[in-house]
Amino acid sequence: MDEEKRLLVVDHLTVNYELEDETVEAVRDVSFSLDKGKTLGLVGETGAGKTTTALAILNLIPDPPGVIKNGTVELEGQNVLEKGAKDMSHIRGKDVSMIFQDPMTSLNPVFTVGDQIAESIMIHEKVDKKEAFEKAKRMLEVVGIPGERAYEYPHQFSGGMKQRVVIAIALACNPQLLIADEPTTALDVTIQAQVLDLMRNLKRKYGMAMILITHDLGIIAETCDDVAVMYAGQIIERGTLEEIFNHARHPYTEGLFNSLPNIADRKERLKPIPGLMPDPTKLPKGCAFAPRCPYARPDCIDVMPEEIHFGGTHYCRCSAYREEGFHIEREDIEV
Amino acid sequence: MSDILLEVRNLKKYFKTSRGALHAVDDVSFTIERGKTLGIVGESGCGKSTTGRCIMRLIEPTSGQVIFDGKDLSKLSARQMRKERKDIQIIFQDPFSSLDPRQTVLQAIAEPIIQNKLIKGTAAIEKRVLELMETVGLAERLINSYPHELDGGRRQRIGIARALSVEPKLIICDEPVSALDVSIQAQILNLLEDLQDKLGLTYIFITHDLSVVNHFSDDIAVMYLGKMVEKAPAEELFANPMHPYTKALLSAIPVPDLRYKQERILLKGEITSPVNLPDQCRFKKRCYMPCEKCDGCEPKLVEVRPNHFVSCHLFDGQQN
Repeated sequence: MDEEKRLLVVDHLTVNYELEDETVEAVRDVSFSLDKGKTLGLVGETGAGKTTTALAILNLIPDPPGVIKNGTVELEGQNVLEKGAKDMSHIRGKDVSMIFQDPMTSLNPVFTVGDQIAESIMIHEKVDKKEAFEKAKRMLEVVGIPGERAYEYPHQFSGGMKQRVVIAIALACNPQLLIADEPTTALDVTIQAQVLDLMRNLKRKYGMAMILITHDLGIIAETCDDVAVMYAGQIIERGTLEEIFNHARHPYTEGLFNSLPNIADRKERLKPIPGLMPDPTKLPKGCAFAPRCPYARPDCIDVMPEEIHFGGTHYCRCSAYREEGFHIEREDIEV
Repeated sequence: MSDILLEVRNLKKYFKTSRGALHAVDDVSFTIERGKTLGIVGESGCGKSTTGRCIMRLIEPTSGQVIFDGKDLSKLSARQMRKERKDIQIIFQDPFSSLDPRQTVLQAIAEPIIQNKLIKGTAAIEKRVLELMETVGLAERLINSYPHELDGGRRQRIGIARALSVEPKLIICDEPVSALDVSIQAQILNLLEDLQDKLGLTYIFITHDLSVVNHFSDDIAVMYLGKMVEKAPAEELFANPMHPYTKALLSAIPVPDLRYKQERILLKGEITSPVNLPDQCRFKKRCYMPCEKCDGCEPKLVEVRPNHFVSCHLFDGQQN
């Protein structure tokens, strides 16, 4: 039963960028799974390895310098990392689609938006150009743009509209998995609300699964079923939305929540995480967060923390929990 | 008696375009008391940055007055204005492009000191730079580093140190934390807050991030297409938003707390073109509660409650 619901299983994924004189450990031993129709939120700061993880799922790691050192990415039981270029081009856009952060640069300025949507349809479906263009128009309507505008060029659209076009391209072939990499970061708040609303509705309508990459915990709270928090290439905590937001366990997750202004108490002072993200070419042997962690024990920096199971689907990598009775300051929220 | 540091009266900036006048800032007026923070929020293209730049005359306003510390800046010559800018500084959004890549930290921070002839002598200037670096939390060893060697948070600290170097009275912060990660964002916001307490600075805080502006400001002005549509003390604005646009804007903030549930107001369409605006409410096309008066003329900014100003026909005649 459980097997049938599984869409994606990422297991021990490790990706390095091997440069001439140094190696960037971009993704370190990342494992997670995603069920059909669910949304996973991947949170973390710049350089945490979120986008590299997403690119690995599409087998799009730039090589060189990217090297997949270890691990598998199974999409419906098939390891995409073993597929050749030809097989991948059937999977990309058809089974898995990706939306990139910047809608301004992800469209081709010299083709009409209709052509760009039709292109992806023609690659994956046996239709002629005319039919594909008709379907492209229907896709535009789906994302809330009048079909007539299919004849226009990207520069005639605003930022929010361009992102809708990108969504239309991504969804044109009903993918089972949509990877959205910071889809609303470049947009204004009211437009962001429109686009997120659209994505939620489309997800429900087509029953597809989604991986949403973002640094905004507010967007995660509204959109996701499961959450994985990344830091320096690792997933340091994962679980359901409720487990992460109401029963956070990792000191970094706590730090992220504390860094945000509290909307209910505007005078409360922010509690930033001290220091900076470690250099990904010189990661410590143990926990990468230890140098910034208020709970760090003397040996944290030398001992790689194991993933501890906190019940349900809730896992956290933190050595402090080896001590009986340890708890971060953030209190659990009971609903 | 209130101590007003800056008063902006009927500030207008129209840009000439081939299709007609672009109303970037249209008749904006406000005052800021010494030591307080005014937040200006709005979406891209609403004129918030242009307002900030017009105050410093980095962009020449089309009309209107800017009275800073009792002086009318709009009447000053370029030379006099340059002197005056010592008291008004600006921190830009992008710490990656606002620093000269060929200047070291020392040169970057020393530049305004030398330009304004505040301190003479290399040793004395270096001492002052080190002092400033300490104030903004930059380690002494970075003094000879170049911007490309530093991360966004540190670069923004250089920007702040540069602004502080001339001991300004007013700092215009134009999206100072938008390009930074959340954990770094919180560090910079706390730093700006501490500096305000310590040095008695006055801030204009321009941002699109409503939760940040709520945390940071005493008063908040909401702008839409060059107009100020609502202005109120921060607490009042969040507790009791009146303009339909403000309500929609507030409801669109994603809140990272599962207990927090709110009705979201989704606006139709997008910001309309600010070129050749007709004399009617600018928000009408996206408004979810338009009335027949909206077509007639543009609503005036009225004080509906003490210190709470709204520009919407729904509140006509409710003058406090």
